[in-house]
Amino acid sequence: MENKIPPYLIKIADPQYDPASIKGAKLSFLDKTILNSSKAVKSIYLQAENAAKDNFIQKINPTIKVISLIYMAIVISIVSNLRTQLIITVIIFLLFIIARLKLYEVYRKILFLAFIFGFLVVLPAALNVITPGKIIFNIITFNKPSHFLIYNIPQNIGITIHGIEVVSLVFLRVLNSVSFALLVVYTTPFPSFIKSFKSIGVPDIFLMILSLAYKYIFILSRTIEETYFAFKSRLLGNIKNSSIRRLIGGRIFYIFKKSMIIYQDTYNAMVSRGYSGKVVLHSRNHFTVKDVIVLMVIVISGIVLILF
Amino acid sequence: MEDIISLKNINYSYYGKITALKKINLSIKKGEMFSIIGLNGCGKSTLLHIINALVFPDSGELIFDGNPVTEKSLKDSGFGIRFRQRMGYIFQNPEIQLFCPTVFDELLFGPLQLNLPLEIAHERAEQTLSYLGIGNLRERPVYMLSGGEKKRVAIASVLTMNPDILLVDEPLSSLDPKTQTFFIELLLELNQAGKTIIFTTHHLDLIDHLQPRVAVLSEEHTIRKTGTASEILGDEELLISVNLIHEHIHKHGNEEHVHSHSHYRFHKH
Repeated sequence: MENKIPPYLIKIADPQYDPASIKGAKLSFLDKTILNSSKAVKSIYLQAENAAKDNFIQKINPTIKVISLIYMAIVISIVSNLRTQLIITVIIFLLFIIARLKLYEVYRKILFLAFIFGFLVVLPAALNVITPGKIIFNIITFNKPSHFLIYNIPQNIGITIHGIEVVSLVFLRVLNSVSFALLVVYTTPFPSFIKSFKSIGVPDIFLMILSLAYKYIFILSRTIEETYFAFKSRLLGNIKNSSIRRLIGGRIFYIFKKSMIIYQDTYNAMVSRGYSGKVVLHSRNHFTVKDVIVLMVIVISGIVLILF
Repeated sequence: MEDIISLKNINYSYYGKITALKKINLSIKKGEMFSIIGLNGCGKSTLLHIINALVFPDSGELIFDGNPVTEKSLKDSGFGIRFRQRMGYIFQNPEIQLFCPTVFDELLFGPLQLNLPLEIAHERAEQTLSYLGIGNLRERPVYMLSGGEKKRVAIASVLTMNPDILLVDEPLSSLDPKTQTFFIELLLELNQAGKTIIFTTHHLDLIDHLQPRVAVLSEEHTIRKTGTASEILGDEELLISVNLIHEHIHKHGNEEHVHSHSHYRFHKH
């Protein structure tokens, strides 16, 4: 070495600080962020693993699955019979079992989404103010009916039978749509999805953005994790939470800047390999007799469910 | 010499599915130069993360200076702070390690957290800038540095905390030959000054330069052998089995020949 080693580095036990004077840094909010970031990667990993299973549903041609998804979304929105919707729920549940997916993990997500968008959002429709009918559970009673702007407010406000039917129907529609969509997502590898979208006419630029966004999740979570480790390794304490947040703010800027550079490089690499705005994908999604039979079964089932 | 770090029967996996480390047992002595070698993806960096308690094993025990290191024990601020101060980690990618506005702030960050008086912290930072030959970068923002400069600043930012143990992940990664030589000399000098150095690499010539004690990680994520540098470099069968050396064509002038072993071991260059 050209320069002399600093004297402080020769002292092994560093006497110049007092650990008792240092308060531990609170990194719990960082831990949570990292936990969520790694959960996101884990769910993608699980999706890929599930999709790779050698199973009847996993082996169906992805294009058939995407067409079925669109077709079933239409069927589910047309069916206005509670009993038929329940039958669809049971059928999808059985399909999940056949696909050997982790029911608890999947249904936790499905029920959460269905509860928010299919139940809470439409809950007011159960009231006689929105859906008139016979009140079965009275909530509030006024002295007399009144009029507010364009609304007629009845003397008794409560839940009606017809209101419950409306809420149940919307809930089941959301539940069935979400669960069928997740069934397709969890049983189809992501690259095959992209190819299927292309075959049904989704624009190239949209597919490219989708592919890069998928890749971005991995890069981002890896960068977040590495940054977190670097922080954890050097943060001893004696630092205010506000300072930690400021440092993290700087790191977030760095992560976005880095991702911008990565994408610029990725784009340059694509251009140098002949990319000119059009995605040319080689397709291995060949249709088999089994795929055609599956499509026919789905089409016929849809018609039967609508007519039922 | 007494053990400063012991790993007992460590197992680690990603998401509980992908095995990263299997039944790892290691002991590293105070003041030792120790290397973990193996191919990419065999678990070297994960092992360093475990030694630095950045991640915790699925099973097994990490002992530091006679004390078990767990999530709970690190929450004891006295032990946790001493542990972080005594162990400095130089990451493979220096960019992720640097987060302060300027190079000088970066060097002051550690000492100020240790509650060192400002004058001492300044003195350390100045001495380290001079030692690593980066005095000219003092007020430079980190994002305006070259790869080699970032690496030097990353090393300096760890050194100002004066750790007893330095963990270095792939010391020569992405460095030009001059910076590589600088880094090798630095590691030797710090080791001579009494620091324990633990580094990962897949460069066998680095093992020959630094002569550390070596643990060989296999592609099955287990430790295949631990021994001195000459014992490991002399065990051609072992190095072939863990894919660290392989047959390749080599050219000298117009003469071409095939080695069935390490180019470094064959030619010494």
